Amino acid sequence: MCFIWTKIIRGTTFNEFSVLGILSNLGAAKMPQVMVVARNFMDMVAALPAAKLDMLYDSAFICEAVLRSFPPLAKKYALQMLYVSAPMPAAAMEEWVLDEYASKHKVAIDRLLQLRVFVEVRDRRKEVSYKMNDKFQGNMQKYLVDGGSLPREPISSSVTGRLPTLTELENYALEQWECFLLQLINSSQVERGTSFSSSMMKTFQRGLLSSRDGDAPKLSENGFQFLLMETNAQLWYIMREYISSAEERGVDPTELISFLLELSFHTLGAAYSFNTLTDVQRIAIRDLAELGLVKVQQGRKDSWFIPTKLATNLSSSLSDSSASKEGIVVVETNFRLYAYSASRLHCEILRLFSRVEYQLPNLIVGAITKESLYGAFDNGITAEQIISFLKQNAHPRVADKIPVVPENVTDQIRLWETDRNRVDMVLSHVYEDFPSKDMFEQCCDLARDNGFLLWEDSKKMRLIVRVEFHQEMREFLRRQR
Amino acid sequence: MTSAHSKLYSDDVSLVVVIVDTNPFFWAGAALPFADFFGHLIHFVNSLLLLNHLNQVVVIAAGVSSCAYVFDSGNAAASGSPDVAATFAKASRKVEEFVKQDARDTAGNGTVAGGGAASLFSGALSLALCYIQRVFRSGTRHPQPRILCLQGSPDGPEQYVAVMNSIFSAQRSMVPIDSCIVGTQDSAFLQQASYITGGVYLKPQELSGLFQYLAAVFASDLHSRAFLRLPKTLGVDFRASCFCHKKTIDMGYVCSVCLSIFCKYHKKCSTCGSEFSRVMPDLNSMPDQK
Repeated sequence: MCFIWTKIIRGTTFNEFSVLGILSNLGAAKMPQVMVVARNFMDMVAALPAAKLDMLYDSAFICEAVLRSFPPLAKKYALQMLYVSAPMPAAAMEEWVLDEYASKHKVAIDRLLQLRVFVEVRDRRKEVSYKMNDKFQGNMQKYLVDGGSLPREPISSSVTGRLPTLTELENYALEQWECFLLQLINSSQVERGTSFSSSMMKTFQRGLLSSRDGDAPKLSENGFQFLLMETNAQLWYIMREYISSAEERGVDPTELISFLLELSFHTLGAAYSFNTLTDVQRIAIRDLAELGLVKVQQGRKDSWFIPTKLATNLSSSLSDSSASKEGIVVVETNFRLYAYSASRLHCEILRLFSRVEYQLPNLIVGAITKESLYGAFDNGITAEQIISFLKQNAHPRVADKIPVVPENVTDQIRLWETDRNRVDMVLSHVYEDFPSKDMFEQCCDLARDNGFLLWEDSKKMRLIVRVEFHQEMREFLRRQR
Repeated sequence: MTSAHSKLYSDDVSLVVVIVDTNPFFWAGAALPFADFFGHLIHFVNSLLLLNHLNQVVVIAAGVSSCAYVFDSGNAAASGSPDVAATFAKASRKVEEFVKQDARDTAGNGTVAGGGAASLFSGALSLALCYIQRVFRSGTRHPQPRILCLQGSPDGPEQYVAVMNSIFSAQRSMVPIDSCIVGTQDSAFLQQASYITGGVYLKPQELSGLFQYLAAVFASDLHSRAFLRLPKTLGVDFRASCFCHKKTIDMGYVCSVCLSIFCKYHKKCSTCGSEFSRVMPDLNSMPDQK
């Protein structure tokens, strides 16, 4: 199907028209990329030089975090190889899986090799065997015997006095994190800013905001998608930015990575003394406190930090979306949307794709409309992302229902999206009034051979060619004359 | 992507209930000393907990006349005692206490005849299923459950009905029962259990490498089992026990109303009370019983 809208410009020899050829385009919608970010973090670890990676494996916690980030099959292989010291022939390993799942096997082995948990060994006959990384193996064996120990001892409550309860800690963490996010997306609206230096904030905003010259920075496509991700994925994104900007600040990224992974193995809600930290870690912990990963408290002599849920979930979220936080959103078949939340951040997020009608103390009421969705699509959010956001944040009352979001609503969101994708504009030119059939066909052939022909009508001797080819076309016609 | 309506965590998060045979009659003469076996078990439990922080392991000890929970990783984590070594020390103390208590119970009952005492697997299986049901009903998202039986002592035919009932309820709630035989004889009960519930039945050749077997076969989660070449059962012993004398039989009488099995002809079914009016001819023309 081909809709053509023409606008006439006087040409020279032939009538040339500038055409906006609108062709159907039912391309596949982009899938939501929620987990991509977290996986990228392990890719970042994998990209470290071999020597540094081996250095990281000195710490049992990193070994543990890395192991947990693997796909299930890779985890199983690692476990199976734990007490095997001799190299295992690759061919023998392939026997472990059924033939039809060889691709899964390959993915698992590749991952293990990338992170240097398995090391490739070639014998004299050039046959490939895999051997487990010695340090990794040693650390994991130790783990199996004593069940792993703690990175550092918590300090006793006689020193710290009363520590915040877990609920207080969680509220604190969420508050800090939301405050940070609000500042990230809209620095002017925050009354109580975090103490991140503006340069640091800029680093975080780099991928998320785009500013056209002079204008106030606006959320970019990535920024919108970022807001719809779950907290852990967002956290990893920020951490990745934080680590990759470490070198600019003169900090070794390896140390930060190891500290972050280690942090997630601390006990939730226990206090740890600052004295056990290195200088780099001390600076890092102040930054992490701003994000709500830890709470820093000052005693009479000592200061200490208390890891929050955000920190302890950090490494576990690498393998999977394990955030089981309670949802807030109820969507009705009449396209109305109720979100039981008092948070400004939630309101901002909902505003991305719905029309927020009113806000009660604990309830945000909105409607999903065509206009609001078009706004979202313009910002680069896909229908799938919106639907998966609604599903993941469903209120417990509706979370049990199948489907969680009414089908007519999800279908309509998808339809509105495809409405926009159905047509695709291609700038092009129309050529007509050819003097002879022969000439017309020569032109057609030339355009077709170069792959610029969009449409032809041999009866009326008309053709449409992409705008890029116009110059060549013109010269060709001039030569023919 | 985890969809919110599914109450399960993603595929590879598992709840493993391990049933451990602590029958002193068996372990007294076993090729693998109990201490070594327990070492392998702790390694295995640790490795399960290592694989995913959401994994949960429960250990149930099955003695001769009682059974009890000896370890629950959920409790260990919740109680805030992060010292894993201490938790395991506590677990092994619990096992010790349990074995002593069990010995006292057994002596009190005086039910044991000779060395061939069976462990109370029916009770342990029921405990495991109860635990799993509680997890199912807790309302929150839960891991994928499965049961692993580590049996050494021979089957107790007198537990036939109870074991079969447990197996069928496991099948109904889609809980696979894996079995690993650490003794010398195959277990007909567990062969059937694994066969019916879709679990893995394995009798390791080399018991000194028990951990390797456990890690290679029983540590894999249900999702990745679909891809793996796992040991297949060669044959399953489908023989039943009779309800009247609890003997394992090849052929017997079956009540036409409630399907109870008897080794001898009765006038009245002891289970449902139906009266059999016609006298059965001899054993030769009797229907084959599976």
